[in-house]
Amino acid sequence: MREQHPRFDHIGRRDFLTVSAAGLALAGAPALAAGQAKRSGEIAAGLSERMLTLDPANHYSISTTSVLRHLFDPLIDVTNDSKFVPALAETWRPVNNTTWRFTLRKGVTFHDGTPFNADSVVFTLRRVQSNSKLIKSFVYQDIESVEKDGDYGVIVTSKRPFGSLPAHLTMLGMLPPSAAKNEEAFFQKPIGTGPFRFASWTHGDQIAMTANPTYWKPGIPKVEKVTFRFIPELSTRTAALRAGELQVIDRVTPDLVETLKGTRGVKVLDVPAIEAQRWVFQLGKEPVKDQRLRQAISLAIDRGVIIKELLRGYGRPVDSPVPPGLIGHMTLPAKVYDPEKARQILKQAGYSNVSVDIVLMKDFYPKQLEITQAVAAMLGDVGIKLNIKNLEIASAREQRTAGTYDLFFSGWAHMPHDPDWYFGQWFTKAGSEKLTRYTNPRVEQLIAEGRVPDPKVRQAKYEELERIVWDEDAELWLYYTVAIYGISDRLRNFEARRDYYVLLSDVAIA
Amino acid sequence: MRTYILRRVAQSALTLLGVSVLVFVILRVLPGDPARMLLPDGAPESAVAELNRQLGLREPLIVQYGLFLRSVAHGDFGQSFQYRAPALRVVLERLPATVQLTVAAMLVTIAAGVSLGIITAVLRGTRYDVAGTIVAVLGQSLPNFWLGIMLILLFGVALRWLPTSGFASWTSLVLPAVTLAAFPTALVARLTRSSMLEILNRDYVRTGRAKGLTEQSVVLRHALRNAAIPVLTVIGLQIGSLLGGAVITESVFAWPGMGKLIVDAIFFRDFPVVQTVLILSATVFVAINLLVDLLYTVVDPRIRYS
Repeated sequence: MREQHPRFDHIGRRDFLTVSAAGLALAGAPALAAGQAKRSGEIAAGLSERMLTLDPANHYSISTTSVLRHLFDPLIDVTNDSKFVPALAETWRPVNNTTWRFTLRKGVTFHDGTPFNADSVVFTLRRVQSNSKLIKSFVYQDIESVEKDGDYGVIVTSKRPFGSLPAHLTMLGMLPPSAAKNEEAFFQKPIGTGPFRFASWTHGDQIAMTANPTYWKPGIPKVEKVTFRFIPELSTRTAALRAGELQVIDRVTPDLVETLKGTRGVKVLDVPAIEAQRWVFQLGKEPVKDQRLRQAISLAIDRGVIIKELLRGYGRPVDSPVPPGLIGHMTLPAKVYDPEKARQILKQAGYSNVSVDIVLMKDFYPKQLEITQAVAAMLGDVGIKLNIKNLEIASAREQRTAGTYDLFFSGWAHMPHDPDWYFGQWFTKAGSEKLTRYTNPRVEQLIAEGRVPDPKVRQAKYEELERIVWDEDAELWLYYTVAIYGISDRLRNFEARRDYYVLLSDVAIA
Repeated sequence: MRTYILRRVAQSALTLLGVSVLVFVILRVLPGDPARMLLPDGAPESAVAELNRQLGLREPLIVQYGLFLRSVAHGDFGQSFQYRAPALRVVLERLPATVQLTVAAMLVTIAAGVSLGIITAVLRGTRYDVAGTIVAVLGQSLPNFWLGIMLILLFGVALRWLPTSGFASWTSLVLPAVTLAAFPTALVARLTRSSMLEILNRDYVRTGRAKGLTEQSVVLRHALRNAAIPVLTVIGLQIGSLLGGAVITESVFAWPGMGKLIVDAIFFRDFPVVQTVLILSATVFVAINLLVDLLYTVVDPRIRYS
């Protein structure tokens, strides 16, 4: 599992009116005879992370989200450039800071023929909000009520402003209310409104789906069958792609790119991900509590070398805590490499022979140990000793909870294409209590003010708070990750997603 | 004999109870928190606490164990934390793949290991013996991981004779079975060789030859039967450990077996799955040991239990 933080972006940082208008325009288009498009072939994809459940509300996994997107439709979809576009909701708008209204698409049916309407949305949202056994429940705790407004309208009110709600909804498939009768049986053989119908699955091994011939989006899907196999071992995924057994694999590492490029019939696609690699400090204790030391550490690291040598160019320099394309992204002064200045700062602050512990979650990120060793050498150059503690994941997280670390190797995928969760978790007193122990009342206030639906207000608040945390060197921002996919050259229209999704509804095979 | 069996069964039950206590306690004293592993990194503390409560981990240890024993007695091993489904079902779903792989690997082991052992023993000192010994040493020293990947690259990617991974048809069984069998085959081959060598020097073998038995009859009927006892013991133990998990082979071949399941379950602190797998495999292990002990009496009539 990687760090997944699905977060939705909400309607677009730009203008929700545009999105709504686009939705209306789409809705008005005559439904082209669906299913008349020629559909042929099948695609098998190999994903790195195991899917453990078919319940859209009971996981927070990126692989699972992308697989379930084929069975279930969410209310809203997010495009690769982080725009929010209509799915089962044709339009949505904030009525006020704590109320959203969604207008639903008409004429959509579940795979068993029952119509999709407001009852489905009310059931799905109330279920995830009220059942604290569900993994995704905590995301929706701010919701106060979900009410029908006619058969195709839903009003959601929240206890406090919930501007990121549309973004979160891109990760939540809509269920038929009949699922409530026997949830366990339902999720063994689920029914959604999605472009594919469930065929079979083995827990954590593979899932097969067949085309939904009556899908509401004309001409979709383009193939008869898709299979997702879960193969955590990268060399095995790669071999299956090279042997032609799979047509797509995700999470390719830079060192395998050349091998794949050298294989006939295989292509490599890459795209800057919506993930930032940033190591976090334990800000509640010495020595990294001292901003001067954090600044010296940042100055002593040559990020260019990491990107060029260790990641073979598959990384991007950071210019903001939030990756480009998302609400809140801005261009801040580059984090430069200046070992001389780092030494000076250390000297002035009276540090000599300072030693810092970094905790790694074993085998969690590709190349993490090599990168950490390189950083240890760089820090050693300016007189900081970095002790590497490579621990089993659960133990590493335990240490972070207990606060017995100085630095922690971690990344953050801004999953629902929205930074509200990131800021709310890592930069508020309550959120960071068992993580970084960060506290700054001004930042906290800006985060709260940034929760409103208005993207312009949000952008302004986020820019102000990002300047603060950037100057504080509150985290050690290193680089933005690049997502790499291997695909068969027989695929048409495959999009390398910035959020690591593998979406096949729109993909054809020659 | 009956008393012996009854005593052994009672001992086995006690062993299993001990296993259950150990597993239960060790899992819970390990650092790490199941809810924290289930929730995305950076989920609020309130969510962690609530989920732990929902998982029943807030109760005192002894209460948790009591509840666990009671439900196990009813055949319920609890809900897997990760899979959100009954742990027993999750584990049993992996059983066919595990059994197939184990059986196939054991067949390869017995066929190849015993033959190789006999050939190298009978042809001792010849170049066949040297070649056989080299194969055996390689089998024991090549890491499974490397061997598996090499086999995939050769037979899956380059020649495309066999599928690279997965659990689809019998063809997908070949490479993992061979990979998994490499180590036990070498072990069995070396053991058979040394055991055979010892037997082949015995007086009764010379007598057999002297009275005009064919070499085949001497080797297979008289020598092998006597040499088989240590080999059987080792094979029994190997079956037990293969069933318990062929983690690396399963990972390399994306084989949906129990080994990988349990390793992941340990990493993610999925207590019910770990408990189920360990208790079930301990049961199988104990049963196989018992069977092997009883098999001795068939193979060697001198052994009698009372």
